Amino acid sequence: MGKLLVVFRREYLERVRSRWFIIGTLLGPAFLLLIVGAPRLMGDRSDGSRDVARIDVIDATGTGLGNRVADALRARYPFSRAPYVRTVDPSKTALEEDRSVLRVQRDEVLGALVLDSTTVRGDSVHYAGRNAGSHMDVDAIRNVVRNVVLADQMASAGIDAKRVDEFSHIRLDMHVQKVGDKGIEKGNPIAVILLGYGVALLLYMMIVVYGQAIMRSVLEEKSTRVAEVVVSSVDTDTLLAGKILGVGLVAITQVVSWIVLGAAALMYFPQIMGSGDHVAGVADTSSAAGGAMAGAQGGASAAAALMKAGLPSIPVWATIALFLCFVLGFIFYASLFAAVGAMVNSQEDVQQAATPVMLLLVSSAIFMGPIMANPTSNLAKTMSILPTSAPIIMPLRMTLVPVPWVEIVGALAGVSAACAASIWISGRIYRVGLLMYGKKPTIRELAKWVKEAR
Amino acid sequence: MSDLAIDIRNVVKRYDEHLAVSDLSLAVPRGTVYGLLGPNGAGKTTTIRMLLNIIVPDSGTITLLGTPHRTRGLTDRIGYLPEERGLYKKMQVRRVLRFLAELKGVPGREAERRIDEWLIRLDLKTKERDWGLAKVDELSRGMQQKVQFIGTLVHDPDLVILDEPFSGLDPINAQALKDSIVELKARGKTIIFSTHLMDNAERLCDSVCIIAHGEKVLDGGVAEVRKAHSGRMVALAVDGDSRARIAPVLSDKTLVARVDDNNRYYELELAAGADPQLLLRRVIDTGVPITRFELVLPSLHQIFLERVGARGVEEGMTGHG
Repeated sequence: MGKLLVVFRREYLERVRSRWFIIGTLLGPAFLLLIVGAPRLMGDRSDGSRDVARIDVIDATGTGLGNRVADALRARYPFSRAPYVRTVDPSKTALEEDRSVLRVQRDEVLGALVLDSTTVRGDSVHYAGRNAGSHMDVDAIRNVVRNVVLADQMASAGIDAKRVDEFSHIRLDMHVQKVGDKGIEKGNPIAVILLGYGVALLLYMMIVVYGQAIMRSVLEEKSTRVAEVVVSSVDTDTLLAGKILGVGLVAITQVVSWIVLGAAALMYFPQIMGSGDHVAGVADTSSAAGGAMAGAQGGASAAAALMKAGLPSIPVWATIALFLCFVLGFIFYASLFAAVGAMVNSQEDVQQAATPVMLLLVSSAIFMGPIMANPTSNLAKTMSILPTSAPIIMPLRMTLVPVPWVEIVGALAGVSAACAASIWISGRIYRVGLLMYGKKPTIRELAKWVKEAR
Repeated sequence: MSDLAIDIRNVVKRYDEHLAVSDLSLAVPRGTVYGLLGPNGAGKTTTIRMLLNIIVPDSGTITLLGTPHRTRGLTDRIGYLPEERGLYKKMQVRRVLRFLAELKGVPGREAERRIDEWLIRLDLKTKERDWGLAKVDELSRGMQQKVQFIGTLVHDPDLVILDEPFSGLDPINAQALKDSIVELKARGKTIIFSTHLMDNAERLCDSVCIIAHGEKVLDGGVAEVRKAHSGRMVALAVDGDSRARIAPVLSDKTLVARVDDNNRYYELELAAGADPQLLLRRVIDTGVPITRFELVLPSLHQIFLERVGARGVEEGMTGHG
C-alpha cells in the first residue's frame, strides 16, 4: 500500500503542479465553449446577413406564385439581397433553369428555385444552388414556399385573404416537459439535452486526454530507461495501478475545478452567459434540425439555458452511476493505453499502435449525434450497454430518457468485467513490455507476452 | 543469519530458444566487493534482473541477505544501478530522489535530510547553486550520473547491485564511484557489479565470477584465481629493433600457446607442458638483447581470454579497460 501511495502521489502531484494543467484548467472551459459555440455564433450572424434570398425564382405556374414567394422571402430575410423572379412558360422551364444554373456558376445568385404546377398542388418544389448542402438554408426556403402555398390553398378554399395572412403568421411556442417515473420532471428538456451532450463530451474528452497521458507517461519511463530503476523497487502491478489512479484523480480534479470555476462565474457574472433570446433560439433550432444539431450548435447557450430553466434535477443514484461510468470507463481505456505505451519504444510508433484503442473510443463519439436525435432507438440501447461505449453513451442516454435500472446495472457490470479483462491483459503486456526494447511486437508476440508473463 | 549476501543455486533462464542463464550457482559473502565478468550477452544483466525480481528464473533458487529473494520488502534493502540509466527528465532533482527514496521505504523527512547530505557531498549543492532545485534535463550528463548514483544509495542499502557502473562515466565520476564502492565495503556493505572491463574488476574486486554464454566459467577470490592460473604466463621484452628476430620462436606452437603483443612487452601463454626455461634458452639463442623475462601472475584479462577465448571477444568483449 505504501508504495502504491508513493507512485500515486508522484503521478498526481507532478501533473497537478505542471504549467499545462493550470493553463488547461483555466482555459479549458473557454476553449470548450468556443469549439461548441463557434458554429452557433457564426450561424447566428450569417442567419441575418447572408444572401439566402438572393436566388432566381423561376415561376412556371402562371399563378403569380413566384412573386408571392419572393415577397415572403424578402419579409423573412430582410438583410438579404432580394430574389429575382422570372415568370416563364411551362415548356421553357428546363431552358430557364439552365440559364439560372449558369448565373449560379458565375455567382450572380446563390441558387435557382423552380416553381411549377406540382408546387401549386403542394407536392414538390425544385431547388439548385451553391448552398444545397446546407440543411438550414434548404429547410428555410422550403418552409417559405410551403407557407405561401398553404396560404394560396386556404384562399382558394374560400378563406378570407386577411385571415389567411393572420393564420400564416401564427407563432407557436412549444413548451416541452419530460415525464419520468415520478411524473413530470422539472427542468427544461433542452437543458437536459445539452447536459447529456456536455456530460458525454466531457467524459469522452477526459478519457482521450488522460488516457493518452498515461500512455505517454509509460512511454517516457520506457524511453528514458527510468522504468528499470522503478521496477526494481516496486512491482509492475502496483506501478500501473498507481499511475492509473493518480492520473484519474488529476482528471477528476480538473473537472471539479471546472465545475467550481463555472459556478463561480455564473454567480458573479450571470450576464456573460447571454440573454433569454438565445434560449428561444436554441429551441427553434432543435425543433427544426433535430437534437444532434441543437446540441452541437446551442452549446454556447447551454449555460444560459440551464440557468433560465434551472438545472435538470439529477437524482443521487444517477450521479453515482455517472461517476461509476467515468471511473470504470477511465480504468478500462487507461489500462489499454498503458499497454500500448509499454509495447512501443518511440513517439512515432505510439500513435499507430494506439489506433485500435482510439477507434474504440471514437466510435462512441461518432454515435453521440444519432443517439441524441433518437435516444430510444436500438442503436442507443446497444451502444449504451456495449462495454466499450457504455461509459460514454450510457450517461448520455440516461440524461435523455429514462433507462431501466436493469440496463444501467447491466452496463456497469459489463464495463466492470471489461475492466477486469483489460487490466489483466494490460498488466501482463506492461510487465513484459516495460523492459523490452527493440522492434514493435507482432500480435503473436503480444499474445505470447500475455501468456507467459509470470 | 547467513554469511552470504547472495546465494544463487542452479538458476536457469530461457528466452524462446535462447538459453540466457544455464544452471548458474554463485555465492557472494557479505561485506565483499564481487565482480560479475563476461562479454556482452553472457547473461550478466539477466542474472542481475533475476536477483532484483524484475524477471523470474525458470528454475533454481535465489537467496539474498539470508532471505528468499521474492520476499516482500527485501528490495528496500537493495540498491540498484541499471546499465541503461535514466531519470524523469521534467522532474525536479530533489523530487526524483525523494520519489526513489520513498519507493524504498525511507520516510519523507529522513529522505530530504539524506538527499541534502548527498547533494553537498557530490558537489551538486554548493554556495553558488543548488542543483537539487533544477529539473533533471537542465543538468549535464555527468551531473545526471551523480543524481542516478544518489538514487541508488539514498536508502543506505545493505546490498548494492551495479550493472556496468563504469560504462559512460567520465573519469571524475568513475573515480568518485570507485571511492564510494571502497567506502561502502568499509561500512560492511556488499557490492556486486558486472563489468566487461577487467582492469576495474582486478583493482576493486575481492572475488569474481566469469560467465560466458550463460554459464559460469570460473569463480573465486581474485588472488586465488590469478594464482591458480600462474606459472603459465611469461612477460618478455626485448630491445625494440630486434622484435622481428624472435618471431619464429614465438610462433612455435609447442612452446607458446598464445601471444599478446602489448607493444612495450609481450605477454605469452605457455603451451601445455612447455618449460619456461626452454623458452628462455631459445630466445637467448636468437641473440637479441633481452630486457625482461618474468614469470608473471596472469591478469584477469589474460585469464578471461584464456578461459572464454576468442569466441567471447568476437561476441562483444571490448578493450582492456
